[in-house]
Amino acid sequence: MTSMERVVAALQGTKTDRRAFTMTLSLYGAKLTGCPLTEYYTVPEKYLEGQIAVAEKCRPDIIFTPFALALEAQAFGSEIVFIPHDAPNVRKPFLRNLNDIDKIKLPDIEHDKSFLYIRTTSQLLADHFKGKVPICGVLTSPMDLPAIIMGVDGWLELLLFDRKKTATIISLMSEYFISMANSLFHSGINFLAMPMMFTNPHLVFEKTITDTVVPALADMFRQLKGPIVFHHGGNPLAEYLQHYQSLPNVGGFVLDPHDSFTEARKNVGENRLLLGNLDGPSLGKISPSRSIEKARKILDNRRGDKHFIFATSAADVAWDTPMETITGIYELMQQYGES
Amino acid sequence: MTNVEQTRMTLIDVILKGEREQANTLLDNYAASCSYRVAMNDILEPVLEQIGNMWAEESISLAQGYVAGKVSEDMLLKIFNEGINTAGIQPEKGPVVVGNIEDDYHSLGRKLVSVFLQSAGWKVFDLGNDVTAGEFVDKAVETGARIIGVSAMMYTTAQNIGKVRDELVRRKLSGRIQLAVGGAVFKIRPELAREVGGDGTASSCFKAPGLFEELWEKSLKEVPL
Repeated sequence: MTSMERVVAALQGTKTDRRAFTMTLSLYGAKLTGCPLTEYYTVPEKYLEGQIAVAEKCRPDIIFTPFALALEAQAFGSEIVFIPHDAPNVRKPFLRNLNDIDKIKLPDIEHDKSFLYIRTTSQLLADHFKGKVPICGVLTSPMDLPAIIMGVDGWLELLLFDRKKTATIISLMSEYFISMANSLFHSGINFLAMPMMFTNPHLVFEKTITDTVVPALADMFRQLKGPIVFHHGGNPLAEYLQHYQSLPNVGGFVLDPHDSFTEARKNVGENRLLLGNLDGPSLGKISPSRSIEKARKILDNRRGDKHFIFATSAADVAWDTPMETITGIYELMQQYGES
Repeated sequence: MTNVEQTRMTLIDVILKGEREQANTLLDNYAASCSYRVAMNDILEPVLEQIGNMWAEESISLAQGYVAGKVSEDMLLKIFNEGINTAGIQPEKGPVVVGNIEDDYHSLGRKLVSVFLQSAGWKVFDLGNDVTAGEFVDKAVETGARIIGVSAMMYTTAQNIGKVRDELVRRKLSGRIQLAVGGAVFKIRPELAREVGGDGTASSCFKAPGLFEELWEKSLKEVPL
């Protein structure tokens, strides 16, 4: 089977030759090719080279477009910083005064350099892997993007205490997100993963989620031309899945490393796709044998679950993750034959 | 249950529900029979301590913590106005200096630390974002502060905190001026606090008043008044 067939089978719940798996190896591609990160995250061809190396050496069943959410904030005017051995981060949010929200303008989606990089990279990956390996686009959730444009405190302040300005921002984010996401689908990505933070009761009140966040997301998601993978965004998700069950176009959920799959299944039923939950960023701190043992436990737990893809959770797999960990996990998948 | 205990319980409940106006009304009603400073001491401070414990247990959300900060901020403004009208109730502790380190613009944690310190009676000079080592130490010397509290969100900016330590050493102020460090990166990498020369750190903004008490004591022991 090809990776594409394996992933589609997990979505449909049909038999596969082995368990489909992926690791978030967006950053790791730069390590494999020795590419400076300032080039890797600005030159689409360099990113493609990195992901070709990932495909050859790590053989995941899903390849990711750049996991570099700060690039979107940059397009909205925030300053970013390149960090050694990590994806770029936001150095300085664009907006410091909430009275100035009118200054937030929709960037030119066709020509802005950050968007051009993300879209061109998606196109190159889709062309290269030509339907054999699914390409997962990565974008910031439209409900989180304001936090990297105006700071977490600014966005919280609006969400909690200023409905009018919140509506203005959501409207702008919606316009951006629908255009950008659909342009990525047009470029050839197969689905879109989004870490979701201001959607989670660990960050905001449940009433904010039910009254504001979920209705806004539902409106946006139904206008998309492809499926979404709802990523836990660094917080436990399993116990809250009922909030997101009815969101249109959501193909699956990536769980947090601390989540229970049993609890998640109880909340979403047996037929929704679940992914995760090996902690990717921690793989650089533990030995290959320990990482593989953790992976084995997850696989044992999910034995017989036809709608499950083994994956890393949280952010990118850490730069200093030993190659033996990654190859060891690939080899482990061969032991978990037909699912 | 006493009236004070009942008021505290109700206040926790409304803060955790995000009802900022109800929380303010509750405190206004209590303060009507005494003062806002007394309401702060009797009601809000113990409530913040309890909410801080809930934060440490990860049983409340960021938004709930934020609302607690906003209610505290509202109270501080009322205490300030009350102080003007009654010719001055001054903060009892401090002064201390806080800010985000050079090149750091992620202000949520620092703002909450500043509010919770003031709620606990500290006089705080909040220098804002992107503060250089020299600016921190100059302000501490100018105001007689014995603690500088420095916040950083990312590993790269946290490393700039080392410059504050260097500046304290260069001016022979280590010991007298204690360096408190905090921010998201210190939760992920606790060893970083020592690496950048910090004298102490707290796991959350709610725990900052306790840390500052300890560091103030330490400063007085090392360099008495």
